Amino acid sequence: GGRDFNPDTGKERKAVPTVCYSCVTRDPKIAFVEDGRVVKIEGQPNSIRSLGKICAKGQAGVNQVYFPDRILYPLKRAGKRGDGKYKRISWDEALTDLAARMKKLRDDGHPEKLMYHYGRAKGSSSSLPKTVFMGTYGSKTISGHTSICEGGKWVAQELTWGNHYDNWDFDNTDYVLNFGSGVLEAHTNHIPTAQRLVKAMVERNVPCITFDVRLSYTAAKSTKWEPVRPGTDLAVLLAMNNVIMQENLYDREAFTFIRTTEDVNAPLDEKIAALKKHLISYTPEWAEKISGVSAANIKKYAREFAKAKAACIISYRGLVAHYNGTDGERAAQMLGMITGNINSPGGRCKAVAPHWKYPKGPKVKPKGKQLKITNGTLSALPNHGECQSVLKMIKDGSHGRPDIYLWYCYNPVYVNGECQENIDVLSDEKLMPFTVTSNIVYDESSRLADLILPDTSYLERWDWDGNVAPTQQTEFELRQPVVTPLGECRNFSDILCDLAKRMEMPLGFDTMEEFVKLSCEMTPTVKDLPGGGFEYLKKHGVYHDPNEKPDFYSHKKIVKDADLKKEGILFDEATGVYWNWKKSKAKDEAEAMAKGYAKMAYSYKGYVGQKIGDKVYKGFKPDKVNKTGYFELYSTILKEKGFEPFPSWKAIPEHQELTKNQLTLTTYKVPVQIHSRSTHCKWLTEMFHDNPAWINSKTAASLGIKDGDLVKLTSKIGEISIKAYVNEMIVPGSIAISYHLGRTESGRYGSGKKSIMGSDNDPDLKLKWWDTYGVHPNWLIANAPDPISGQHRWMDEVVTVSKA
Amino acid sequence: MTTNTRDDRREMLRVTGVSLAAAGLASVSLLQPKEAEAAEVKTPQWVMIMDLRRCTGCRACTVACKAEYDVPLGAFKTVIKQVVTGKYPDTRRTLIPRRCNHCEGTEKVGDMTVPPCVKACPEYPKDRRVFVTAEGKKIRYRGGATYKRPDGLILIDNDACTGCGKCIDACPYGARTFNKRKLSGKDKSKNAIVKCSSCVHRLDEGITPACVNTCAPGARIFGDLNDPNSDVAKLAKEFNLLENRNKTTMKPEAKTMPNIYYIDPDEVLADYSYEDKDKLTEYRDIVE
Repeated sequence: GGRDFNPDTGKERKAVPTVCYSCVTRDPKIAFVEDGRVVKIEGQPNSIRSLGKICAKGQAGVNQVYFPDRILYPLKRAGKRGDGKYKRISWDEALTDLAARMKKLRDDGHPEKLMYHYGRAKGSSSSLPKTVFMGTYGSKTISGHTSICEGGKWVAQELTWGNHYDNWDFDNTDYVLNFGSGVLEAHTNHIPTAQRLVKAMVERNVPCITFDVRLSYTAAKSTKWEPVRPGTDLAVLLAMNNVIMQENLYDREAFTFIRTTEDVNAPLDEKIAALKKHLISYTPEWAEKISGVSAANIKKYAREFAKAKAACIISYRGLVAHYNGTDGERAAQMLGMITGNINSPGGRCKAVAPHWKYPKGPKVKPKGKQLKITNGTLSALPNHGECQSVLKMIKDGSHGRPDIYLWYCYNPVYVNGECQENIDVLSDEKLMPFTVTSNIVYDESSRLADLILPDTSYLERWDWDGNVAPTQQTEFELRQPVVTPLGECRNFSDILCDLAKRMEMPLGFDTMEEFVKLSCEMTPTVKDLPGGGFEYLKKHGVYHDPNEKPDFYSHKKIVKDADLKKEGILFDEATGVYWNWKKSKAKDEAEAMAKGYAKMAYSYKGYVGQKIGDKVYKGFKPDKVNKTGYFELYSTILKEKGFEPFPSWKAIPEHQELTKNQLTLTTYKVPVQIHSRSTHCKWLTEMFHDNPAWINSKTAASLGIKDGDLVKLTSKIGEISIKAYVNEMIVPGSIAISYHLGRTESGRYGSGKKSIMGSDNDPDLKLKWWDTYGVHPNWLIANAPDPISGQHRWMDEVVTVSKA
Repeated sequence: MTTNTRDDRREMLRVTGVSLAAAGLASVSLLQPKEAEAAEVKTPQWVMIMDLRRCTGCRACTVACKAEYDVPLGAFKTVIKQVVTGKYPDTRRTLIPRRCNHCEGTEKVGDMTVPPCVKACPEYPKDRRVFVTAEGKKIRYRGGATYKRPDGLILIDNDACTGCGKCIDACPYGARTFNKRKLSGKDKSKNAIVKCSSCVHRLDEGITPACVNTCAPGARIFGDLNDPNSDVAKLAKEFNLLENRNKTTMKPEAKTMPNIYYIDPDEVLADYSYEDKDKLTEYRDIVE
């Protein structure tokens, strides 16, 4: 790889290293340019993450630039909101208007009435808008999208081992248990992990057992598919943990770092006994009745997992996007930890990712103000917000409403549940006085924007970036423009720099390019690279230190005595935690001492180490909650919030009494579409433009449904009609519909509709041969959170099914 | 166990110059009797092995190929198909990568053994051509609208093509179709033909085909069967791919002698059912 040629002329194509942004994996890649057009994309051979490979969505990045319905000019609403009438305006007109609106809010003392809502913006495209621009402006009314993604998984990790994100060391593992991850088709670190899992399975005969409602590609490729009833993975995991504890297959030494009791100083035997006692009623036979997975297999897998030299437990939304999802992930963490397969070669490891330093804007910033509308009201620990509740909170109004709603890399109407309510709220000018977005595609939400700013595609812009390497090492990545932006497209972050100047609040740099360059000069690992970090990365795309050792067993490191004696450090008897009170919200040492580590707001930010016996370990450093440095299987934080301190069985309430024609709805992703940002890509939508609902043949027969029949699905909030795909690849009693499709906008390839100002300059438009655009399941799915984490409950909805 | 090296440079740098050749010695033991003669002149024999244990159905190959050639909508040069067998919960779902088999063929045109598409081409044989090996040895062969190069590649010369479509009908695999955005060289009222060229323009520069380059799980292994040190030769030996052609190639009953082999321990190929009536549908990549 690394070179490419025109097949007709033989002329070599220009290779430009950059980084993918089709999905959140962000693989380093090489874009090939011919006559000023990007024509082909390949993986970056120098990347320790992707090893030179890239997926279908990454390959189709070419389409992200040249799809004929792309927004190329600033557009201002010219009719009623939602009418789809827009007029082209100049950048100056657009930004003069927007800056005046923002400035007025700020100068009136209400910066919090500017709300910024973003999707999976990462790297510098996250930091510049969220931290630098909004921080300098003074609004903390900011929401991400993580709760509709995997927020429950992160909260569970924050409660157990601290920071979020788990890396799976397939290169060194001998056994894999998979609860609801499509790791081979749609994972957040897809290409880096998928290729390593296949290699392990084929070249080293590593077994991979996949528990899933559906025979996904991942399940199909696994050594064994274990169909599991929706929302019952937790029961299987509890039973496996129970088998391991009762049969004494656990790793005794691992318990040194585990908390299973109220008393942080409990001896090993007491800790082991406490966990055994908690789990004893969760027998494999009990779990079989709930989940449909045989007790014999539960025992078999538990024993094999515990006895393997290295074993890796993996999980994603199949486990997590449920009412009981946070406990599901905590139970998965438990399985890894009690068998000694956490932070270990071949196990589930805390992620290692690059740490970029960047200019933070002016030294003196206003104290930020915030509308309390980003966390909902129904969950106990929404550490990653509750974005699906934002529009509901705005509708409710009791916590205030933004005057300007600005969204980026996000399609609130389409990606949250309850599409109709989202449309109603965003359409209502009384609730939403001014709406603005920056986007490349005219989508369901852009349609409700008063101002649309044409963004650059990721192949036309700058970013520093980086994601987790499966080798437990750090890799730095640089995204650079491969081609000149089309039309009048300008990168969203460049626009924010411009707006800041217009509001007399300069950020200290004028463009994203400058921001990225400054970041390269500030970041230790890259700043001294030959020619400087910026020039080096422009040329090579990626950097990793070849001498960096893979980071395993970080929790076992001893904290140096000197680090315990620094100013501000206190020892907290109740938790055994050494912490620096100055990093918390404490006014003074007296307040810190009085409240103690567990009760002082933000004390976790000052965490230094955990005293265990007579040693102080780095332990499992907390993030977002004041947990101890233990791997907490017993959580006093949850206990105080009224939940079971141990991971415990909770059935999905709605699943308990179903009538004959009621099925549980499961959603999933396919390998060739990005969740909501790719139907305008012709090469992807050509392969996937229809998404009939999967139904098991027995279930279908009992409902009188045949393959291809149109069926009506009704939930408590909505109704859709969809074709049935009757097959042998799904658990009876459930119905599965993929995301991605049912687009009402996104241009001709994705929705059949020409977007405003769409052009006809793609010769393939005449060759488009499909006229189906699929059906979106979110019209049926209520915006309901997991009561612990706020994670959206994608997989819990009950639908009544009948022939349409 | 098998190790598929990912180092395509090591594999491909053996090929130099404007044409192809392998520096490795021919391994006669790996070849069918009729191929032994060809091997003596030391051309490469390009084959692809599809390892069904590895293909995850991600379609990176499909899109890489679309981009490499800007393949028009409606046409594909490579696709993934799926086979589902068995009853719940013992269901088996397997992904099968496909592309032009670059068949050896069993029919004669003059001295050449050619596959059905070449045999059917009214514009073959035409111009006289020379293939130069790495050692500088010249091998003479004949061009045409559809022709076979001495290294086994089945190629299209659009300048010679009348767009008659007989090769499309002749291919038992549906691997050819019309290019609706390009006209045939000789008859501007007809469309050109589109099908896999095994990325000959990359091969001639020592670079692996686009689909191989991007295949993350390593399901597509490409190389010179005449080089006993190549991954393909080693895999062919390990899995008896040549000896078991009836089980390791597609549609053996068509007697085309494909140069694409499948590592298929579960014998899934036997369950693959062709849509013979509609070759265009057969050769579209649709994700379920």
